[in-house]
Amino acid sequence: MPKTVLIVDDHAGFRGFARRLLEAGGYTVVGEAPDAASAIAAVQALQPELVLLDVLLPDTDGIAVAELLAENDGGPEVVLTSSREAVEFGTRLERSRASGFIRKDDLTTAAIQEVTAARP
Amino acid sequence: MSRRLLVTLTVSGAAVVVAAAALVAFAHDFQPFGSAEKLAQVATDAIWIATGLIAWHRRPGNRVGPLMTAVGFVNVAQQLYWRAALPFTIAELISFFSLPIGLHLFLAFPSGRLQSRFERGLVAFMYVAVPLFSLAGQMAAPYGLASDPHASCPGCPRNLLLVQRNREIWNTIGNLGALVVIAALVTATVLLIGHVRRSSGATRRALTPVVLSAAAAAVLLGAVLVVSAFGVQTEGSLLLWLADAAIAAIPVAFLVGLLRTRLHRSAVADLVLELGSLPSSAQLRGALAHCLGDPTLEVAFWLPDHRRYVDPDGNAIDPDGDPERAVTVLGRAGKRLAALVHDPALLDEPELLDAVGAAASLALENARLQAELRAQLAELRASRARIVEAGDAERRRLERDLHDGAQQHLLGIRLALQLVRARLADGGASADELLAEADAEVVDALAELRALARGIHPAILNEEGLAPALAALARRAPVPVDVAVCRERLPAAVETTAYFVSAEALANVAKHAHASHASIEVTQANGCVAVEVADDGVGGADLAGAGLCGLRDRVEALDGRLSVESPVGGGTRVSAAIPCA
Repeated sequence: MPKTVLIVDDHAGFRGFARRLLEAGGYTVVGEAPDAASAIAAVQALQPELVLLDVLLPDTDGIAVAELLAENDGGPEVVLTSSREAVEFGTRLERSRASGFIRKDDLTTAAIQEVTAARP
Repeated sequence: MSRRLLVTLTVSGAAVVVAAAALVAFAHDFQPFGSAEKLAQVATDAIWIATGLIAWHRRPGNRVGPLMTAVGFVNVAQQLYWRAALPFTIAELISFFSLPIGLHLFLAFPSGRLQSRFERGLVAFMYVAVPLFSLAGQMAAPYGLASDPHASCPGCPRNLLLVQRNREIWNTIGNLGALVVIAALVTATVLLIGHVRRSSGATRRALTPVVLSAAAAAVLLGAVLVVSAFGVQTEGSLLLWLADAAIAAIPVAFLVGLLRTRLHRSAVADLVLELGSLPSSAQLRGALAHCLGDPTLEVAFWLPDHRRYVDPDGNAIDPDGDPERAVTVLGRAGKRLAALVHDPALLDEPELLDAVGAAASLALENARLQAELRAQLAELRASRARIVEAGDAERRRLERDLHDGAQQHLLGIRLALQLVRARLADGGASADELLAEADAEVVDALAELRALARGIHPAILNEEGLAPALAALARRAPVPVDVAVCRERLPAAVETTAYFVSAEALANVAKHAHASHASIEVTQANGCVAVEVADDGVGGADLAGAGLCGLRDRVEALDGRLSVESPVGGGTRVSAAIPCA
């Protein structure tokens, strides 16, 4: 199970709650990023094992960031999240190379473990 | 043209003609030319002057009259010499001057204006070149370019310009001059054929007699040349007299052609009758075109509120757009009504245009109001479309605001509540229960907020397009829905409307239809998007229902049509056709 996490979301409030939730569930949050560009920089600098990635970012969208991160071997595992439902992104989520998607309402450490454990 | 100028020119014309005739008859006996032939020439010159003055008088603003008069005066002035050296020298010098004037006349007929830069260049060149050739010829030969430099004429007066008899120079100048004149004549003929071919209505009516008489004269002169080449003596022959008559007919043809651009008053009377029944815009244009003899006539209507012209369909146009067309503004009771875009030849008939304008003013006012109405309708249609667009933009903004605002806060609260619950899990059961309730509330609020945001504007629609948006819609429906949607992106307003038609129809399927299956089909053909939502339910739906009625306004704002087919027990089919240029 991955232990170190980077949280990417443009809402500071959400990042704060997510950090506490993950830390309570036994994860180590190594950093936070508010947009796609700083997220990519943070992944290179901090080498997290897991990235909790918001789909709707102000610069690029999270699905594209997940593609970018998946290009490098040994890159972090990515869990996408959004306040919207999965169905609202059409088939793009299914086709993405992220480990999975969790609606923000349903975000718990148990849900993250379930998604990451399913990874082959 | 002032009366005084007319009288002066008429009197001096008559005087010059009489003087020339007298000189030809009594003072040119030193020349080897037949005086009968020269008298016929003087008569032709007199016809040029007379017809030119009539043309000038009847069409004072047109250069055709002055040019015709000038041809006559320059030609007749060639005969104004006797045994004295100075008048003979001058008469010789101007003997070819009518050539550039005639060329100018042919090319400028009937409007009096040369039509292109090239034509103006050609005429200007000839005005300069012909006198220069004449002068040079006269410096090299005693009787100019027309006679051999060594010809002897014992009684002839002296040529004051003669420098030296030189056959070589005389030959070169003569050949070069002939080449230039032939090239100019051929070019002018080609240009004239172009004028005839492009002409319409009044211009063509004017050109026809001129072209016919010039062609007849050319054919007869050609025949004279051919016969002479075979050594037959033509002097005094019928053929030569016919050729002279044809040449004399040319100025008459110019006058007739010029006056033919004027139409009969009866045409205006016919127009009044024709317009009595307040015709449609197309009929009005046709009647005006017929009356003015200009089939290419166009009518532009003035919209005073917008300060611009429109065509009969209400589309904005610029009457001054084509420099080869003339524009006449028509009014009624001091107000601008319309503009006629017409053949420039009609400008010579301001009275006719005025009469037509007066006769047609009521019909024009009527047609102008129709055009104004059409323009207003077009504007209304555009504004309806803008309102729909603005509404959609507002929905998108609201969706974004809800997503970024309330929804994020609620999400935060939910995460916080879960954290608190986790901490309390060891002990206080009642606190845990309360928190679980609060959490359930938040879950419901989030679900409602999400549905609300989606109803205001489905984000997937502008991000992914119609097909994925409808697929998402189908997945949320309570019955299986087949979706077949064309893949290409459509204009935003069309996509949004197609989406809401489908969403409303599917909502009705869920609420009323008791269906087991439904389908959405969106196809694009012939610039039109067709949306069809069908189910196998109980039917009996009505377009008057509130949801469908709002949809109908949306669809019609885009100039589309919404229809519902819903026989009781036979399922429901909602169809929308939306134009999509």
